[in-house]
Amino acid sequence: MKLPRVSLAVLGFVLIWAFLIVFILFPLTRIFYDAVTNEAGQFTLGYFHDFFTDSFYLRSFWRSMVLGLAAVFTTSVIGIAVALLIVRYEFPFRMTFSYLTMLPMILPPLVGVLGFVFILGRAGTVNILLMDWFGLEAPVNFMYGMHGVLLVETVHLFPLMTLSILDALAKVDPSLEEAAEGVGASGWHRLWTITLPLTTPGYISGALLVFIWTFADFITPLVVGVQDLLAPQAYLNIMQFVDRRIFRMGIVISALLVVLAILFVIAAREYVAIKDYSSLAYSRVERRRLGPVKRWLAVGLLLLLLFVCVIPQVGVLFAAVGRGWALTPVPVHYSLEFFRAVSIETPKFIINSFLYSGLALVLCLIVGVPMAWIMTRTHAPGRNTMDALTTLILAIPGTAIGIAYIRAFNVPLPFIDVPLTGMWIILPLVLAVRRLPYTVRGSYSSLLLVHPSMEEAAANVGASKLRTFRDITVPLVWKGILVGALFSFIMSIQEASATIFLTLGGWEMIPFGIFTFYIAGSHSQAAALGVILIAVCAASLFVVNRIAGTRVGGLFG
Amino acid sequence: MVRRLKTLALALASMSLATGFAAAQPIEDELVLITPVAKTLTDPTLADFAKYAKETWNITLKTSALAAGTPVAYGRILEWKGRPEVDIFWGGESALFDKLAAQNLLARLEVPKAVLDAIPATIGKPRPIYLKDPKGYWTGTVLEPYGLVYQPKVLQRLGVPEPKDWDDLLHPKLKGHVAQCAPSRSSSSHATYEVILQRDGDDKGWEWLKRLGANTGIFTARSRDVPSVVARGEFAAGFAVPSYMAFEDRLAGFELKFVAPKTAWITPEPIAVLAGAKHPKAALAFISYLLSERGQRVAMERGVFPITPKFRVQGEPGSRAEMAVEFTGGIRSYFDIDVTNIYDDDKAQARYEQVNERFRKDIESNWETLKK
Repeated sequence: MKLPRVSLAVLGFVLIWAFLIVFILFPLTRIFYDAVTNEAGQFTLGYFHDFFTDSFYLRSFWRSMVLGLAAVFTTSVIGIAVALLIVRYEFPFRMTFSYLTMLPMILPPLVGVLGFVFILGRAGTVNILLMDWFGLEAPVNFMYGMHGVLLVETVHLFPLMTLSILDALAKVDPSLEEAAEGVGASGWHRLWTITLPLTTPGYISGALLVFIWTFADFITPLVVGVQDLLAPQAYLNIMQFVDRRIFRMGIVISALLVVLAILFVIAAREYVAIKDYSSLAYSRVERRRLGPVKRWLAVGLLLLLLFVCVIPQVGVLFAAVGRGWALTPVPVHYSLEFFRAVSIETPKFIINSFLYSGLALVLCLIVGVPMAWIMTRTHAPGRNTMDALTTLILAIPGTAIGIAYIRAFNVPLPFIDVPLTGMWIILPLVLAVRRLPYTVRGSYSSLLLVHPSMEEAAANVGASKLRTFRDITVPLVWKGILVGALFSFIMSIQEASATIFLTLGGWEMIPFGIFTFYIAGSHSQAAALGVILIAVCAASLFVVNRIAGTRVGGLFG
Repeated sequence: MVRRLKTLALALASMSLATGFAAAQPIEDELVLITPVAKTLTDPTLADFAKYAKETWNITLKTSALAAGTPVAYGRILEWKGRPEVDIFWGGESALFDKLAAQNLLARLEVPKAVLDAIPATIGKPRPIYLKDPKGYWTGTVLEPYGLVYQPKVLQRLGVPEPKDWDDLLHPKLKGHVAQCAPSRSSSSHATYEVILQRDGDDKGWEWLKRLGANTGIFTARSRDVPSVVARGEFAAGFAVPSYMAFEDRLAGFELKFVAPKTAWITPEPIAVLAGAKHPKAALAFISYLLSERGQRVAMERGVFPITPKFRVQGEPGSRAEMAVEFTGGIRSYFDIDVTNIYDDDKAQARYEQVNERFRKDIESNWETLKK
């Protein structure tokens, strides 16, 4: 009985590596190959030399770093505050807020940013009101520039931080805090010296996600007219096929982003490794009741936050039902024609989105959860590489992955004589690969907090590794896995940048529809698809919020 | 094979004959385009072609258009290496079509001689704009100028007169209010940069373009974004916009206005069948349809002009065609007027990369300084 199980585990290990090699490493080598060869296929480091001697690229590089750090700072402040409030304190509508504060992360590609512009742009609702009613001469520039990018990234990404910290916070042993209180540490002092350091692993993975996301986002800067950042440069240059030299520079910048990602991941891992504070289990948290003034203050602060967060959603909704909306605070003419056009007349966007993202989710679970387990629990060879790989995927601009796939998988497969790029399965594959890190990270940070002694105990009484994993580990960390898998699904269904290169007629998902409508200038149709996407993602988040809420140590109530 | 295609094509030339041959020579039941031409022009033509196919051959045709900017479309065709996932490439610069043909990635255009003969070889003086490929790989489909757009309400607010020519975009009060797309990202922008450079000569031309850069409030990611941001009133005026893209925003209910200055470059929106296409008969049938009166009429309703002197943009009062005429400045056919063209495409293509590089150095990297 024992032997087949062991070989099954080995087989699984081999299969996972095969998947990673074929669908991540192999296409990536293609990018590096392209980055160090010229059109004639000869080896050259000239492009890297060009990059590092070019003041424009260097400035883009510097500004990307600053933007990433700024986004980590702003999302930390908001994310930690929200997480603490929700886990530690009792106040009216706490459950509702725990759900609503997750919603900003559903910002559909392109139209989400446009939603901001519709409300806060130079001709947006706010400026029009200021100019028409208060006689303001020139519009206030809320959006165009780095500050606009930072605003969008902060609103979009603080829930990532909140979710990362929520999970870690719920597992901090309350006795440590009680001890601190016992020796007279005040509230803030205790928070600063005991509570927050204990959540370091969760915080670091959240911060890494925020940093890299901001670093790799090209759409937001482009919509608000910022081009001197690395990701927009990579994107704009890769889109340039005609001028092959610029195209190469796009590949080179992508390769650089990959290298940088590796460095960030190594730095973060070193940091987490020396701060292993894992406790034995989720702790049941006793929530403090806030006094009457403080409790409504908490509600007020959260409402204010939500008010800002709802700006893009409102903008998208207005655009989806407004016809010819320009230079008035709200649309003058309303119509449902855009919704009809993108759903009833062409249902393919919605159908394809569910099909491909659903398949991607299944792939993420099959590959991602065992990966996280291998990385935290085994000494299997190559697990560090595995870890680096997953984070690295997050950092590569989607366009680069799209290009890598097109270049790597355009050869006809044996027997069927069709290249992978000619089969729709490539879409769920690329989605799964690109969103795999969320499942892995979600599972990984939860596994870090489950002490291996529990699994060792199971092993001591004769359970195999697989059995231990199924009966001991999974029940303890399923919430982390669920949150991770949910991220993978939501991010898959919102993914646009990699798929845009790979989509062929008939495979269009919602974000591709948004792109094609946007490219055609049909912003209202794009916005209508955006509203549908928001609704789908909001519903999935709601379901998970409920499930996680009833099962896990009172975390969500 | 070639003869059979010719027979088919001949049949298409005359609608009355077509029905008779169709039973024996049906087209494939699918057709896929890759195109930088916006959906608002491709969708109506494809839909009407599908209707035409049903009426003519009783074939239920499945059509789709893969939207991609010119550089992306070109890049994907290169990457397919002669095993294309689509049948037709429509739109962009004719020079790119020549490049594709030189790499054997285009099939020869086997449409009836009469159809191609109706299209003049060139238009414009002193430099001719080629309307079809002398080697027979591509043909123009419609004519459309790359002009400028503006939002009258915003201009009024700023106290700026409505622009008539390129130079009006340099008005000092327009500082920070002009939208344009980088010439390295957009073919229409690149062509219009060349128009300025060839009009003024290199030194003065770059000075002019730097002044435009100083007035620019946003470099959009794509040329299609330029009319969009102006239509919504985010910016006051836009540079190098294809007429039909601007017209679509007008149709969508925005108060956008369009001007084609005298020196505006006019593109013939070339079309070609890709070598190795899976549905070559449907592809050729579509091209013949597009050049027929029926196809040209559908296109004319979207703000472009006929490619042959045989037709003029004309419709019932209040019709879309008449709206288009009004929008594009009262012209019904470019063959009615003397077209001034100073743009030399060979020259432009020969220094394509140098212009991009100079733009990057003098304007893109230097934008913050220019704005001061």
